[in-house]
Amino acid sequence: MMDPLTTRPLALLAEVTYRCPLQCPYCSNPLELGRYRKELDTSTWVRVFREAAELGVVQLHLSGGEPLVRRDIMELVQEASRAGLYTNMSTGATVVDDRKLEQLREAGLDHLQVSLLDTEPESNDRLAGAASFDRKRQAVLGAKRLGFPVTLNVVLHRQNLDRIAEVIAIAQEWKVNRLELAHTQYTGWAFRNRAALMPTRKQLERAHEVVERARAAGTGGVDVLHVLPDYYFDQYPKACLQGWGMVSMSVAPDGFVLPCQTAREIPGLEFPNVSEYSLEQIWTGAPVFKRFRGTDWMPEPCRSCDKKEVDFGGCRCQAFLMTGDVNATDPVCQLSPQHHLVDEALKEAEQDAPPLHFRVMSS
Amino acid sequence: MTQKFPITYPVLATGTRYRWDKVRNQHQLVFPEGMMVLNEPGRAIVKLCDGRSTDDLIAALKETYPGSEPSDDVFEFLDQLAERGLIHDGSVDD
Repeated sequence: MMDPLTTRPLALLAEVTYRCPLQCPYCSNPLELGRYRKELDTSTWVRVFREAAELGVVQLHLSGGEPLVRRDIMELVQEASRAGLYTNMSTGATVVDDRKLEQLREAGLDHLQVSLLDTEPESNDRLAGAASFDRKRQAVLGAKRLGFPVTLNVVLHRQNLDRIAEVIAIAQEWKVNRLELAHTQYTGWAFRNRAALMPTRKQLERAHEVVERARAAGTGGVDVLHVLPDYYFDQYPKACLQGWGMVSMSVAPDGFVLPCQTAREIPGLEFPNVSEYSLEQIWTGAPVFKRFRGTDWMPEPCRSCDKKEVDFGGCRCQAFLMTGDVNATDPVCQLSPQHHLVDEALKEAEQDAPPLHFRVMSS
Repeated sequence: MTQKFPITYPVLATGTRYRWDKVRNQHQLVFPEGMMVLNEPGRAIVKLCDGRSTDDLIAALKETYPGSEPSDDVFEFLDQLAERGLIHDGSVDD
């Protein structure tokens, strides 16, 4: 059994705001965004970063929402970097110009991740709910000029998957260091839009071939990471978070600390807040972090499965969203008694897609 | 050419940096989305990836570890780093 005192978190996701100028229909933020408008102030975030470094966090991921809408973002980056954290930022890159990029560089940001929704500007802008393609392009080129390592993050789904070859080509053209091709994870807004986002099997097979062929031919200095959709390819679920409360933690804009940023969707879980406890107290003692840590919580078929320390029972959010029971085996697992839910979703994906619900702040 | 290693002037890639982890008492090489734990010789090699030639790097290692004959395993390690994109050739623009 792991000991949380010796196993310390390597990564902290800091969602510094849920505010965002974009409306991506697969956003991982909660559906009821309007309920969470409160945001931690600068000094509290700075304390959180210092506590994270003390606790053993190596990688900090500044995200949101759009982290760059916070007026104190440069100070946050600077203090995180000063605390000794390797500082990454995920941005939609619509509110950044060369001057801001330079400030980020000076503040000590180590790595910039820019989202791109599609290689077709009209499709990108339609999916984002805002004209943003050109700004994203400018931001990537500007960041590369300044010497940032840049990752281009492209979330894949049925509306852009047929252009995966173009995605790889644009990553090469823009000379990004890494390309993250991540199939939509069906939580948050993406679960709500699942029928409109799930690709057909044919689309997936073709895309998979394109990526493999591009890799074999060499991607010209671009490191391509391909995250496959677990509904289709896996007999066993993904090792979500590499285990609940094992290597990472998330702090939401209002200071609540979650084992995973989408865990807020699970009713009945009580999350501690950084205003009341230190990160160390939370990591070692908060009941919500212990709830699914290790294997003691597991039901059958997980309990007697020899893969239980490989996939840790899969994704708790996915199990809850699909089955209504947070303790259930992730239905992606072929051994799950509710695996038929995945088959039904796959069948649905072969039908015509319904319209998308775009992310909105009101609720 | 006896060496397989194609980089003659190894330098750490942008975004890759050495870090001492005082919580775990570890030498680490950190980079976007990842981390590699280094042993003492690994740390010594990484610190020498500053654009000097591999010949100079080997010479410096011999000074650090008197009596050692570093060669193959050093190149193996450098190969590993290059494969993961953590070092590149400082004499070539990328």
